[in-house]
Amino acid sequence: MTLLTAELAARIGEERVYTAPEPLGRAAIRYFALATGDTDPAHLAGDVAPPTLICETNQYANLPRDADGYAGHGWHLDVPGTRLIRGGNAYRFERPVGPDDVITARWKLADMTERVTGSGKTMLVVTSIATYTDQAGRLLAVNEETLIYVAR
Amino acid sequence: MSLVREQRIELPDMIAYAGATWDWHKLHYDADYLRERGLGKPVVDGQVFGAYLAVALREWFGPDAVVTALSFRFKSLVFAGETIRCVGTAVRQEAGTVEVDLRVEVVEDGRIAVAPAAATLTLP
Repeated sequence: MTLLTAELAARIGEERVYTAPEPLGRAAIRYFALATGDTDPAHLAGDVAPPTLICETNQYANLPRDADGYAGHGWHLDVPGTRLIRGGNAYRFERPVGPDDVITARWKLADMTERVTGSGKTMLVVTSIATYTDQAGRLLAVNEETLIYVAR
Repeated sequence: MSLVREQRIELPDMIAYAGATWDWHKLHYDADYLRERGLGKPVVDGQVFGAYLAVALREWFGPDAVVTALSFRFKSLVFAGETIRCVGTAVRQEAGTVEVDLRVEVVEDGRIAVAPAAATLTLP
């Protein structure tokens, strides 16, 4: 069974750009720090964002929630006969993020590759790259995300 | 040098994280949704392990250490009420930079939640 159809392959290179409707905000930073057990005073005061915040939040997306309750970016790929699992992430942090920063996230559907698991199941590995910038266009962080569609 | 940080993840922690990240996926709190999928307990959001590892790194290397890169792969789900252990090993340190191998284990049964994982930090 081939998971990487021509229709899916044609989507490689697609991009979505989201700009937050407001600055990140001191409360958002403080809330994230509290929720993650952060002990850094600068994070708990809301002065500086913990490094992974902008890679984990959906605040900038301003999207309605879907049937699963999810309100973040997604490619909504149709891969019949599979289940979706998270592969992992690789973050690169370029500069500190503060409460006054207005985040723009540019997502790119970078690659889709078909592979076979150790148990012989076909899987589709989807790689996305999100680039985060501030209102001055300065690069804040890069997030390479891997999602895996595994044949049932 | 071996570095360890443990943290119990209660459902209120997960609810707080869902609010803080604007991620309201039902996997993390909805009992009916979970039961329909054969899951007995709410699933901890995988993204939070990035935050937990970043917190651990700054506790280990100090508040002036700057995490410049962090990568991790998911191995198994973690559920509400479980305790995780972040484990780090500094594998290379030179000229104000340290590279750390990381993993996240579940304390109750020792299964690996996140691995391999790695980080690079700059030190003052």
